Amino acid sequence: PCHDTARALDYSPASLVPCRIMPVRWSRYNPSYLEPEVKKEFDQKPLEALTEEEREQMEMKAVRPIKAAPPTLSSSVFSDPMISKFTNMMMKSGNKVLARSLMSQTLEAIKRKQLEKYHKAPENEKETIECNPYIIFHQALKNCQPIIGISNVTRGGKTYQVPVPLTDNRKRFLAMKWLITECRENKHRRMMMPEKLSQELLLAFNNEGPVIKKKHVLHKMAEANRAYAHFRWW
Amino acid sequence: TLRLICTTTAVQRKNVGASGPEKYTEAFIKKQIEEFNLGKRHLANMMGEDPETFTQEDIDRAIAYLFPSGLFDKQARPLMKHPTEVFPEQRKIQWGEDGRPFHFLFYTGKQSYYSLMHETYEKLLNVQKHQDQLIAQDLPLQKEKRNLAGSRWLTKIELEEMLLEKVSDDDYSRFIQLLQKLVALPCADIEENYIRKFSKEVPVQLQKVVIEPLQYDERGVAFSTGEGSKRKTASATAVVYDNGTGKITVNGIDILHYFPVLQDREQLLFPFQFLGRTGKHDMVCTVSGGGRSAQAGAIRLASAKALRSFVTEKEVEFMRQAGLLTVDPRVKERKKPGQEGPRRKFTWKKR
Repeated sequence: PCHDTARALDYSPASLVPCRIMPVRWSRYNPSYLEPEVKKEFDQKPLEALTEEEREQMEMKAVRPIKAAPPTLSSSVFSDPMISKFTNMMMKSGNKVLARSLMSQTLEAIKRKQLEKYHKAPENEKETIECNPYIIFHQALKNCQPIIGISNVTRGGKTYQVPVPLTDNRKRFLAMKWLITECRENKHRRMMMPEKLSQELLLAFNNEGPVIKKKHVLHKMAEANRAYAHFRWW
Repeated sequence: TLRLICTTTAVQRKNVGASGPEKYTEAFIKKQIEEFNLGKRHLANMMGEDPETFTQEDIDRAIAYLFPSGLFDKQARPLMKHPTEVFPEQRKIQWGEDGRPFHFLFYTGKQSYYSLMHETYEKLLNVQKHQDQLIAQDLPLQKEKRNLAGSRWLTKIELEEMLLEKVSDDDYSRFIQLLQKLVALPCADIEENYIRKFSKEVPVQLQKVVIEPLQYDERGVAFSTGEGSKRKTASATAVVYDNGTGKITVNGIDILHYFPVLQDREQLLFPFQFLGRTGKHDMVCTVSGGGRSAQAGAIRLASAKALRSFVTEKEVEFMRQAGLLTVDPRVKERKKPGQEGPRRKFTWKKR
């Protein structure tokens, strides 16, 4: 019924794209619009240093219209795409203010803990301690990312867990999701989120902790079900 | 299904000419044209203007004055246009008196489309033959790269108008693939004329934008206004002054008090920080409507538009590529009947 009303109200389908992809979601932008890229003038490499593809992309950017920058994107040094993605995943019911404050408190907590360790450590170990919370965050996320994933395939009534390669986006998403669920569930009732998150991130940075364990469990499952890898057809 | 909310005028035009067999005879259309021209002269006389220099815009204005209509749909209002625009091009009857069709591919159903595919493939074979000849004579193949970014292929609607018959999505994509294959060959320059019929020039985006010159204040300070910038029901105007200290005022209130959230202030400073002019400009803006984030977005767009006059063309292009100068078209999606919200359906009950 909703399709019929849609047609009556003139949401007519029109394909401007000659390719066969049929996406389910639609966008207010025309498909010819490109993603915005915050790049300053002196960041641009000289014309000769660019490869063929980059040159083509530059020409395309000069001709095609570009989408508006979202409110999370900014040219300041403090805006990081990974951190914004993580903040959005932590957000509940659209409360971006709270999510962002939690994130900044987490980074502050990480910095404080690392500084404490730095001042207590003997001279020779001082250089090995990492104090920059952004580097710790990125490294921790990288350590949590699984290499291979599992997908359910049903054959002859039985559902098998088939090992499957993962895209970069999917890996990042799984790492962030595991971290957030871990912090929300396995903590003491009165412990605050920034405290717990900073604890988890520091453990993940050193390749310890429950999230890393979860990643290893997934890898072991994939290795155990190696025999069913040929069930994958995509 | 691929459903686009945003549509360009090319997409909205329905190609009625491709829909069926001939509905209007040539004599009928000629009579319509005569009647239109006569009516145009009568209308000019009625409005007291010169019948010789009465343009289409004058006709539209006269009709809107004589027949005022409150209807919402622009296409439902009274219309007086040249018959070739009202009755689109029709295909003449494709068979002779004895019933035999003229074109050899008539019984395929899509004669123009298939004849076009045959022609294009013939050109492809020609190019390949030419290539083989050059290789046989050991001559170097021409490797001039065609500028892909400056041209685009015809859209499906434009192709339908050209062929005067309906083209399905599959057929259209196959045709484009064949054209791309033809262009990819090194010696495709021979068939440049043929290919040019199916490609259109795309002008560089920057040329469409008109940059206003700076205005000068009573004290001699240069300033520029960014007007009419909207984001999700919020509309803002910004006046950017030169030789300033970086003070920003919104509706008479300092930004620190108006936008307590860090993200909004970051957005306001985004254009200035991107151009490296954070301490050099003063800004006074007015904003109304929308919510906290929408107002910040509207002011950002207004300030970016105002800064265009202070800055070189190259930097304007960089701003455009960073997404600072595009109006964000995303608005709240409407609720549909039979559903609880724009996407959420009612709870499914088995009985």
